[in-house]
Amino acid sequence: MSNRRQFLKQGVGAFAGFLAIDSIFGRAARAASAITAPGSAGVRTLVVVNLQGGNDGLNTLVPYGDPSYYRVRPTINIPAGDVLRIDSELGLNPNLAGLKALYDAHRVAILQGVHYPNPNLSHFRSTEIWQTAAPERIIETGWAGRYLDTAGLPKSDLFKGLAIGPILPKMLVADATDVPTVEGFRMGTFGGTRSEQAHADQILNGSGTSYPFQSPYLSLVQEVEHDANASANALPHLVAGYKPAVQYPATPFAQGLNLAAAVIAAGVGTKVIYVSLGSFDTHTGQRGTQDRLLQQFGDGMKAFYDDLAAHGLDGDVMTMTFSEFGRRVEENANRGTDHGTAAPIFVVGGAVRGGVYGDHPSLTDLDFGNLKWHTDFRSVYATVLQRWLGVAPEPVLGASFDTLNFA
Amino acid sequence: MSAPGQQPAEFRPAGTLDVSQALAEYRGPWDRRLAAHLLRRAGFGGSQAEIAAVADAGMQASVARLMHPQPDALPAAPDGDISYGPGPVVDPQQRRTAIIRTQLWWLNRCLHTPNPLQERMVYFWSNHFTSGINQKGITPQMMVDQYTLFRRFALGDYAQLTHEISRDPAMLHYLDGIANRAQHPNENYARELMELFTMGVGNYSEEDVRQAARAFTGNTVDRSTGMYAYNPRWHDDGVKTFLGQTGPFTGDAVVDIIMQQPATARFMARKFLRAFVYDDPEPELIDALAATFRASGYNTGRAMGVLLRSNVFYSERAYRALVKSPLEVAIGAMKMLGANEVGARTLGALAVMGQIPMQPPNVAGWPGGSLWLNTGTYLARLTYLRQLVMFKPAAQSNLATMAMNANMPSGMDPQIYTSPATHLGSPEMWVAGAVQNDPVSVGERIVDTVVQGDATAQQTSDILHYLSTDGVGNRVALSGENFEEKVRGGVSLAMALPAYQLA
Repeated sequence: MSNRRQFLKQGVGAFAGFLAIDSIFGRAARAASAITAPGSAGVRTLVVVNLQGGNDGLNTLVPYGDPSYYRVRPTINIPAGDVLRIDSELGLNPNLAGLKALYDAHRVAILQGVHYPNPNLSHFRSTEIWQTAAPERIIETGWAGRYLDTAGLPKSDLFKGLAIGPILPKMLVADATDVPTVEGFRMGTFGGTRSEQAHADQILNGSGTSYPFQSPYLSLVQEVEHDANASANALPHLVAGYKPAVQYPATPFAQGLNLAAAVIAAGVGTKVIYVSLGSFDTHTGQRGTQDRLLQQFGDGMKAFYDDLAAHGLDGDVMTMTFSEFGRRVEENANRGTDHGTAAPIFVVGGAVRGGVYGDHPSLTDLDFGNLKWHTDFRSVYATVLQRWLGVAPEPVLGASFDTLNFA
Repeated sequence: MSAPGQQPAEFRPAGTLDVSQALAEYRGPWDRRLAAHLLRRAGFGGSQAEIAAVADAGMQASVARLMHPQPDALPAAPDGDISYGPGPVVDPQQRRTAIIRTQLWWLNRCLHTPNPLQERMVYFWSNHFTSGINQKGITPQMMVDQYTLFRRFALGDYAQLTHEISRDPAMLHYLDGIANRAQHPNENYARELMELFTMGVGNYSEEDVRQAARAFTGNTVDRSTGMYAYNPRWHDDGVKTFLGQTGPFTGDAVVDIIMQQPATARFMARKFLRAFVYDDPEPELIDALAATFRASGYNTGRAMGVLLRSNVFYSERAYRALVKSPLEVAIGAMKMLGANEVGARTLGALAVMGQIPMQPPNVAGWPGGSLWLNTGTYLARLTYLRQLVMFKPAAQSNLATMAMNANMPSGMDPQIYTSPATHLGSPEMWVAGAVQNDPVSVGERIVDTVVQGDATAQQTSDILHYLSTDGVGNRVALSGENFEEKVRGGVSLAMALPAYQLA
């Protein structure tokens, strides 16, 4: 905490009042131009999509060639005639037409059977494991946060990481990097008269240090105040020059990707962006809920990559999905599925080696009714860190893992 | 708050705990600062008058008053229709109206209750035994009934509340109890009962989850009435083995066995401490409160009574040691500003701050703490507070247009729909007692009213500077002409102080 505070005092806080607005923007823009000109190739971004709630893998990437699938899913299966065929065994859920178009253009890698040792069926713990990359113990930082801390990125960049939505996911919690959380193109600002705004800037930049009370949260509140004021002032400038090349669907997920594209196009050195979609927790009536969400996912991804391609950026952006777990192999009596284990991951982007990686887990050789995983999720993270973001995975993941060939 | 399961980082206060004295009765000095602290934690904050009354009455009398709720004259249910339409078909307009009415009914109870601790416990229980309005078939009426149950058991028997909630229609919907039948058990409620409502992870096995699910079969909701019903044909009356005991258990028997486990009192003691005292409480403090709670037969009032009179509760380590939830920010500000009714714009603002009333993000409830604060939610807090402080009721002639532009559903009152609150007290009232043309007197009064003086000298001086200068830095006097605008601006600046975000 104190590191972040220190940096802020030296960086953002050094500018007072109105000066802060333009200075911060100027700093961000200068930092960006030092890396590359906005919109040009070279800055690689990772977008992580959380399919939250536990997405059922079997009805996402359907093993339609395996008769066992229709036995374990008598009422909620995807008929073989409906799947978007990938080969003679596997096909995508028919609502993933947008994703299938990207797959056919060799921009999608599908990684099968990914999970972690000793699967935990709690949403809470399992999500935490995926976000911290620490299955054996509870730690306070996220894997992407640790990457931002160790990547040697310019300290002055405000938008090294970005969380789209109302919360900062644990994945992006770091020791020394603050990641802004935004919900739309305009963040609220203090507003008010010129005099009020100037005094608010003064107060929000943390005037004085000698508080008449102690609180374990005081430094956090001050940091968030700084960053909130700074990023609210900077964001409209960053995205001002961006025009979407496609019409994004009107879903919150696609609108989040639209904002992600705008920030990427601004070229301010954004390395990791988090977006979420859900809830996939389909204990009852799975088909309706999951089909609707998968359509939002596929159509959103298609719009996002079409837009990025039009801006010449599709080769600079890799998108990776995760979900806390897949679901029970056998459907339950409520036309739904209960919490399970392994599920496929999608990796999308112009630089991805498209195709299907790894075998489909057996539907008959099960672990208490759940699929047996074969690929450790940290191998996927290691691949993204080493081959895409260009850093050594071990300091981030705490151990060495095999890398895969999708990137 | 969409990521399920995220736990906030722990923020234990600096300094060390003297566990031998921690739960002993506090006998130190009593002042407005501690009175405001008590009202922030055991309620939703206090108006100036309430803080003064608690400061005058002293700790013992004030806690005794909080611990003994009196009958109130507030509506027991929302005023007006909260169905989704006259027939079985849902009318989307009426659904929006019904949900807004129900949420506002509860927020207005929080604002006006003469029994703040009782309603605060309703909030606590609603974030413990979670359910979500309009989720998984839960109707507004089911939420009203569930909150009424929480009010009945606010300071009552936790074990009995756990029995009752297992039969609660909203809960039976939320965690798939209605789908849990002998022929095909659904584990959702059984798992969360143990993981989140009673013992916590590590105190039961996956097999215990499966066995407990069998025991709860038969509980359901009558589709025509929306009330609890028991269907013996769906109950699995076979023998179950649960936490080492064997028998033809029902759901009630499972709850009884859970209440025999020492883990349960510890789990709840930690939760009480985190909600009312500080985060990451020391294990010895948890053990001490757990012993009290268990010895009382899970009497919530006994545990809360000990806590609210304790040394640790009034210690500097506990003071401002928690982050206010959006609900506490909004209701607390309205109490301070003398609002008379919560408006629907407050609901929209709460959503952007990360908290939709009656709709926690998932079964674990709002995790709170550091997760309330990020750049987006922080700006949402400041924006909302400023809008509230600046609010003046719109002219009657403009209301219809404003309501239409804001897409008002049928059956709503335009004034309520378009406002954060329907009426506020006056800026004169907010700084009552200050010398009105003296910016120093007014500024110090503002810092006292909003944060009980919990500002740095520099921050107070920034606010005084604002009150005594114009937009370009020239000195101006406070006068009848600019008094109201300046007080509103000064109060909203004080609400941007770090202390205001802390409870």
